[in-house]
Order: sequence, then C-alpha cells, then structure tokens
Amino acid sequence: MDVMEKSLLEKLNSPAMYLIVGGVIALVVAMCVYFMVKSWRAGVAVGMDRRVLKKAIVSSATFTVLPAFSVLLGVVALSGSMGIPLPWLRLSVIGNLQYEVNVAQIAATSVGLSGLKITELTADAFVTIALVMTAGILGGALLCLFTLKAYAKKLGGKPKAAGSGKKSFGDWAMIAMFVGMCAAYIGSYAGQAAQKEYLPLATALIAAAAMALCEVLERKCGMKWLENFDLAASMLVAMGAAVLLGGVM
Amino acid sequence: MENKNNLLSAEGRRAWMEQYNRSIHREGRIWTLVCLGALLAVPFLMGMVLQAKTDMNSFLKGFFNVAIIYYPTSLVEYLIYVPMLGSGASYLSFITGNLSNLKIPCAVNAREMADARVGTPENEIISTLSVATSSLVTVVVLALGVLLLQPLQPVLSNPVLTPAFDNVVPALFGALGLKYFLKGKKFAAIPLVLSCAVCILVPSLIRQTSVLLIVIGALTIGVSFVFYKKGALDE
Repeated sequence: MDVMEKSLLEKLNSPAMYLIVGGVIALVVAMCVYFMVKSWRAGVAVGMDRRVLKKAIVSSATFTVLPAFSVLLGVVALSGSMGIPLPWLRLSVIGNLQYEVNVAQIAATSVGLSGLKITELTADAFVTIALVMTAGILGGALLCLFTLKAYAKKLGGKPKAAGSGKKSFGDWAMIAMFVGMCAAYIGSYAGQAAQKEYLPLATALIAAAAMALCEVLERKCGMKWLENFDLAASMLVAMGAAVLLGGVM
Repeated sequence: MENKNNLLSAEGRRAWMEQYNRSIHREGRIWTLVCLGALLAVPFLMGMVLQAKTDMNSFLKGFFNVAIIYYPTSLVEYLIYVPMLGSGASYLSFITGNLSNLKIPCAVNAREMADARVGTPENEIISTLSVATSSLVTVVVLALGVLLLQPLQPVLSNPVLTPAFDNVVPALFGALGLKYFLKGKKFAAIPLVLSCAVCILVPSLIRQTSVLLIVIGALTIGVSFVFYKKGALDE
C-alpha cells in the first residue's frame, strides 16, 4: 500500500467522517426511541399487558445480538476498502451487507475502477460511490413516504389469509434474480481465471465451500444458530484464504 | 390516564387506534423525510471533508445500473413486508435496514411470542416495539464494535491484507451464490454455465459486470418462468 492509498484511508477514517456518520446514526436512534415510546404508550392505552410488551422488547433485544455481530463482521469486511465510517453508517441503518458490497462494486465500475479496490480508489470516486449506494437503496423508504398510508388503508387491518404454502412466481423471480446476479459475477471470475488471474475465482470457490460447510452444519447437525453468521463467516474465511493465496498466485 | 384508557370499550378502542394510526403516518412521514435528507446529505458532507466532488455522469450511470435491480426488489419487499409489520414498524424498518436478515424474523418472533395476529392493533404495537428495539441493539453493538476496531486500524491497513479487501466481492458472491444456487438448483446451472462461457469467450465482458448481471438476471428470470409454467419448480 503506497503513501497515497494510506493517506486516503486515513482521510476516510478521520474524526470528521465519524462525526458526520455519528450525527446521522443519532438521528435514526432518536426515531427508534420515539416510535418505541409511542407504541409502548399505545399498547398500555389499548389494554395490553405490560408484561407482554416488556417480553417483546427483551426477546427482540436478545434475538438481535447474534445477527448484529454478523453485521459487525460486515463492517470489518468493508473497512479495508471503504474505511470504517461509511460501512458503519450503511450497516447500522438502511443497508445490508449483500446490498452494500454489490452496489459499491457496480458503482466502482461505473466510475471507471476495475472493482472495489482501495488500490484504485480516489476521493472523488469514493463520494460518487457513496451517493450511488445511498440513492440506490431508497426505494422502500420512498414507497413508505408516498404510499404507505394508502397501502395500509387498502389492507384495512384485515388479518392476512393463510397461503397454500406453495411459492408464487414472484418468489421464484426473486430467487432467479439473485441466482442470475451470482452467476454473472462468478462467470466474470471464470473469465478472469482464463486470463490467468486466478485469485477472484479461488476466493469465490473457497467462500462457496465455507458456505456449503455451514449449510451442512445447519441442516444436518442442528446448528441453527449458525444461520446468523454463515454469510459473514464464509466471506471472512475466503478473505483470509485470499491473503494466503495472494502470495502464491 | 392509563387506567382510564385500559377500560376503553371496543368502539373506543377502535377510535383510539384510528387516531393512533393517523399520527403514526403523519409522524412516520416526517421522520422518514428527515432521515432521508440526512442520509442523502452524507456523501456531500463527506465530499466537503475529503475536498472531493461527485461525478454526476458516473453517478447517473451507476444509479441506473443499481436502480434497475434494486428498485423492483424494494417494491416486492414493500408489498410483502408491510402487511406483516404494520405501519409504524414499516416506517422504521425501511429506514433502519437489514430487513430480511434481521428485522422481519425479529418482528415475527416477537409477534409469535405475544400471540398477536397479523393486521391487529396488537401486531402493530408489538412489531413497532420489536423493530425499534432491534435497531437500537444493532446500533449499540456496531458502535461498540467500531470503537474496538480503532486500535486495529494499523492492522487493517497493512498491505499484507490488501488481497483480502480487494476480494470482498468474490467472497460475497461465492458464499451467496452457493446459497441461491441451492434454492434455485433446478435452473441455476443454465445461467452459471452461460455466464462462464460468455466471459471466457468474450474477455471484454469481464469488466462489464453491471451490464452482464442485468442480462443474465433477466435471462434467469425468463428460464425460471418457463420452469414454473411447466410445473418443474413444484416442491
């Protein structure tokens, strides 16, 4: 890593960047606290048992701890290529690991980089990538802003009818889209391997092998808790392997 | 006040909930607008700190490539998740993120523990409490984690680790690929083989992954539709 890259990474991790991110996270925390207090009061007002409300809070807090550590591993995974503050913001609020990495990669190629690599990143590219990541994920929030009241009214508070359990084509289309996305990336790594650039394909294959092991442990050995970590853990295993293989390939 | 409200009649309870829902939408929109404004300001504020400019042409190109994939996904998520969550939790969830991997299972778990049915005021209240709590816990865990990461910064920026961070994307799509190929195992081989063949035969496409994933993604949806129509996807 040369001086210029190091200096950009230092800038990306500067106190001013933490301050910006901390301010936005504090705002979202305020929103959460506001809604929490409001819904607690509403629960009490409509006669719900306080013990049930308390149980909902405690169970949600305990339910969240393990997946939150997985989200933290996502921050670690992105910190070397984007600094800590931006991944911290994106994964604390609005984003998720899968979206952030994919969109950062698409945005990086759109600004002319060969991929999400600190060795190629410039400050201009970074802010452009950050804006693409922000604007690209606003669909759900914008729909809430403009249509949620009407949609909720249309739903009319009617309990949802139980489905047949069979997947609709909509469900399959979502799976197909992600299958296609993964196939496109893995295809590009196969293409790179044909050009004697083996590391991306090797990293992807090791990540797939680690995920396969997680799947076996989850399904055959009853280690359901592993589901919270499988994606982040498989990525970290493959990234570790990339360090070892980097010297060889 | 609370005791008085506890004694609300069924009619009074319904009227109270209607008023509650109206205020949830009014306040939910205000909070959403403020948070969206703050989130959109972040890249520009970071630009000021870094003395960098956004390249609008590159932004529009990148945004188009992202939006064509993720805006339809957002729409589907919105249509599916809102009835499960209710209004208050929806405003919160779409701002706080990590929906399918965290907020939805968390809210469903809390709802089942409270024995609340979807579409009832109890579900609305429990889901909102659950999503708010989950978001706060995530923020605390990440803030503590980021604090602990500070001493590790020299390690994380060590050149030895460069291959690891340069290969975040292959690591993600290797792991994610296996998961989705298992889910769509009946048709996944077709786009995978096709994509590999195209990239090996036409090397210039390797650097065009944003175009490739739209084409391969559309083709895979088409293939899955054919399989679906033929009943080949029935479990």
